[in-house]
Amino acid sequence: MNRVSLWLITSGLLMLAGPASAADPPKPSTEAVALTARIDALLGAAWTANKIVPAETATDGEFLRRVYLDLAGRIPTVTETRVFLADKSKDKRQRVVAELLQRPTYTAHMTAVWRHLLLPEADSNFQFSFISIGFETWLREQFAKNAGYDQMVRELLTTPVDQQSQQRLFNPATPGKQTPIAFYFAKEAKAENLASSAARIFLGLRLECAQCHDHPFATWTRDQFWGLAAFFGGLQTQDRGDGFNIPDKEILDRRELGIPGTERVVQATFPDGAEPQWKFKVGPRQTLADWVIGKNNPYFARATVNRVWAQMFGIGLVEPVDEMVGGQDTKSHHEGLLDELAKSFVAHKYDLKFLFEAIAGSKAYQLSSRGQGAAPLYSRQLLRGLTGEQLYDSLSAATGQPNAFGDDPFAAFNGGNNSRGEFLTKFGQHTGKSTEYETSIIQALTLMNGSFVDAATNPSRSQLLSAVIESPFFNEKSRIETIYLAAMSRMPTELELEKAQSFIGRAAASDDPKKARNEALADVFWSLINSVEFVFNH
Amino acid sequence: MNRSLDVSRRHFLRTGAVSTAITMSGWLGDLARAVPETRSKSQRACILLWMNGGPSQMDTWDPKPGHANGGPIKAIDTKVPGIRISEHFPRLADRADKLAIVRGMSTKEADHGRGSYLLRTGRVPGGPIHYPSVGSFVGKELDQPDAELPCFVSIAPFRFLSPEAYGPGFLGPRYAPLVVGENALDGQNRNGDKDIAQLLKVQDLDLPKGISDTRGLARADFRDGLDSDFLTDHPGSVGEGHRTAYRRANTLMRSSSVKAFDLTEESHVLRDKYGRNLFGQGCLLARRLVERGVPFVEVTLSSAPGVNNGIGWDTHGENFDSVKRLCSVLDPAWAALMDDLSDRGLLETTTIIWMGEFGRTPKINPQRGRDHWANSWSTVLAGGGIKGGQTIGKTSDDGMEVKDRPVNVPDLLATVCKAVGIDPTKQNDSMIGRPIRLVEPTAVPMKEVLS
Repeated sequence: MNRVSLWLITSGLLMLAGPASAADPPKPSTEAVALTARIDALLGAAWTANKIVPAETATDGEFLRRVYLDLAGRIPTVTETRVFLADKSKDKRQRVVAELLQRPTYTAHMTAVWRHLLLPEADSNFQFSFISIGFETWLREQFAKNAGYDQMVRELLTTPVDQQSQQRLFNPATPGKQTPIAFYFAKEAKAENLASSAARIFLGLRLECAQCHDHPFATWTRDQFWGLAAFFGGLQTQDRGDGFNIPDKEILDRRELGIPGTERVVQATFPDGAEPQWKFKVGPRQTLADWVIGKNNPYFARATVNRVWAQMFGIGLVEPVDEMVGGQDTKSHHEGLLDELAKSFVAHKYDLKFLFEAIAGSKAYQLSSRGQGAAPLYSRQLLRGLTGEQLYDSLSAATGQPNAFGDDPFAAFNGGNNSRGEFLTKFGQHTGKSTEYETSIIQALTLMNGSFVDAATNPSRSQLLSAVIESPFFNEKSRIETIYLAAMSRMPTELELEKAQSFIGRAAASDDPKKARNEALADVFWSLINSVEFVFNH
Repeated sequence: MNRSLDVSRRHFLRTGAVSTAITMSGWLGDLARAVPETRSKSQRACILLWMNGGPSQMDTWDPKPGHANGGPIKAIDTKVPGIRISEHFPRLADRADKLAIVRGMSTKEADHGRGSYLLRTGRVPGGPIHYPSVGSFVGKELDQPDAELPCFVSIAPFRFLSPEAYGPGFLGPRYAPLVVGENALDGQNRNGDKDIAQLLKVQDLDLPKGISDTRGLARADFRDGLDSDFLTDHPGSVGEGHRTAYRRANTLMRSSSVKAFDLTEESHVLRDKYGRNLFGQGCLLARRLVERGVPFVEVTLSSAPGVNNGIGWDTHGENFDSVKRLCSVLDPAWAALMDDLSDRGLLETTTIIWMGEFGRTPKINPQRGRDHWANSWSTVLAGGGIKGGQTIGKTSDDGMEVKDRPVNVPDLLATVCKAVGIDPTKQNDSMIGRPIRLVEPTAVPMKEVLS
């Protein structure tokens, strides 16, 4: 058997036998299944009450691609697609969700998502991008061990700020445990920055409008904002002289903060008016963390569940996700569902995988995106833009190189001299909602003419294409089917096959028909990965 | 190897001497018909100089040296007797006869995101309607049919604080800006690339090596067909936007107008005059683009040597030092731009707007800084349709309020519309069926500013 055929078989492009069964595949969780039933019941009732007819269920290919993007950060490979499509079992969708939650791709994807959320400064300011290395290592550890989200947030809010943490910030290769200290550095350890970020991300409260004055229309007063900021008031920074202010010290018994520009001093207080339970020798950030993750906190669980829901649907149960209370445009789509999800999340110890599993199993999540008109109350899935990481990793998967970079955190460094880093610079800029993603002319040019896609779609340089072209086992029809499976995670329709075949046929009217046909097949593949169907999650 | 698809190839397209692989209908027909821009004598354009972060009015256009709030900055005489501006604008002072300085700006949004949205769309953020930015709605009115270049180009923006404020909103992806140099800090982009001319170029314009023009066009057409098919089941602006971006990218690849982005075509002397920094070279690029008929170009000034972040004018600390540095970039660049446009006979048809999202507090804070302030601040208009050499409105001696002639954002944008020769009350169809005027109907253009 020649080299090409061997590659084809091992990469699963060619199935000689039935799918191998994995040893001990993870089972769907009965707890998650129970919560899924509640989601279905509540949304179903809302659809009925509002006379909404939901879209039809997504096809296997539609579902598989979507759930891979949402839980693994990339599209499925040809093998993964073939195995799933051939599987005849009734619960295969639940099983693939359970399996995806246990794979390293879950860890990598959630690390990227939470890095963007917690350290957005690294996206827009390349001076900050180097500090994201240590931060991502810390995040990866949390997701790999499925740390309870409350523990993760506690660790972030209470991480030591001292000489040692300062050193680790600049030498991420220092042996020992990584910490989330970069969060403090990126916010310049300024109490007001830390308070606004923490409130927005963990509580879904947008307090910073009240920073300078009581806003006439807003819910929050200036005292409330600075009362929260005061929990971070003990942090001290050192100007290294190169423009960086490094947080390296904390005065642990400081529980008040002067409002800049005024004579006024406020005590550290929680925005909902609850009294801090000060304890001897317990610092203010620890006290804040206890309240944030405590059972009486009215915001934390809801805000977290809301963000996870928005990740899976593009739209939160309350919008905007950053401003769930008191915003001029705050809108709640299903209060009962959010409330129940939040309670269940808390009861299951803030287990994110449990939450993802329950949502991915729901009827609403598995609806098709095909359809016209408005899609109220999640009655149809929407087109959602991909992150730079998702797009790059999907391109890699489609072209037969699913792990373009290994687990080396330095290789993942955005600013590094590698093609993934360069790609992310171009495609990592979008900061709006995924459902409002706008492909730009610049992105179109990069995808059409840039070096990464060129290599991936050049018959002599792309593993996938050369294997498909060179193998004696394929005819033209199966070649087209394979590239559709690789790019779209589905088989082509009859009409699509016809169109592709006639495109190749027209090109073949040339001096070197064989070469022209191969080039035309490569061009079909190029077209697939430049299409809206590839570049979006749907 | 730089191998742009030049005129001879586009002739190839038009005369139909193409293989039967491609049919010249639909979008390909439009592509063949696209014309290189040449600006006619009467064609209008607009350049927005966007000061990201909220520029301090007390230290630029409305100095108060006699008051404690004025701080250490001195005022200097200008070419126009009676008008005095910041000492950091020596060249602009010599060209004050071209400037209409609006000192009575008074708005209510002192948050970066909300303020940017208000100033750039003329509307308060929130609500169901996604309003288009001024670049989109003015660009659309002045757009030439079959133009090769998009009608709105944005140079070196930092959009992350308010991405919606930079978009076409309900006007749709055809009016989205072409963006170059995004998030570039002064002198370097995220890769540390220090070549500014390279930074401002449109990347990836050429077909990859080994792909013939016929193949390039044939596959672009096949690709477009895939999108059309997908869109029948997935209609909406997201999918449409993707297909539109690709069609426009294909047009751009085969255009001669895209040479506008090559700053190395200009003399060293002129490039030096604008200033060898991101904003200065950005202004030079703006001139080249409006010269070729692009109706709306914006250049963002957000950083300068020593002020190295995306919202440089947000001077909560060390305001006086930062403003000095930013002005040392702004003054020569804007002066060079006006001279250059004037030399080419373009100034009288190119309206220039200078503004940020709000001003800064008259009272100086303990960090020698100024904080956000929307109550009384300044913007400047110049060029086409504008009567320069005047100030409009007055603030109190302490700078805290507008004593005479307050101006809000709709007034300002309505004035801009009139200056470029379009009707601010003109309506566009919004996505919820309701027709929306370019500017709020309550707007009153500043008659005294219009020539």
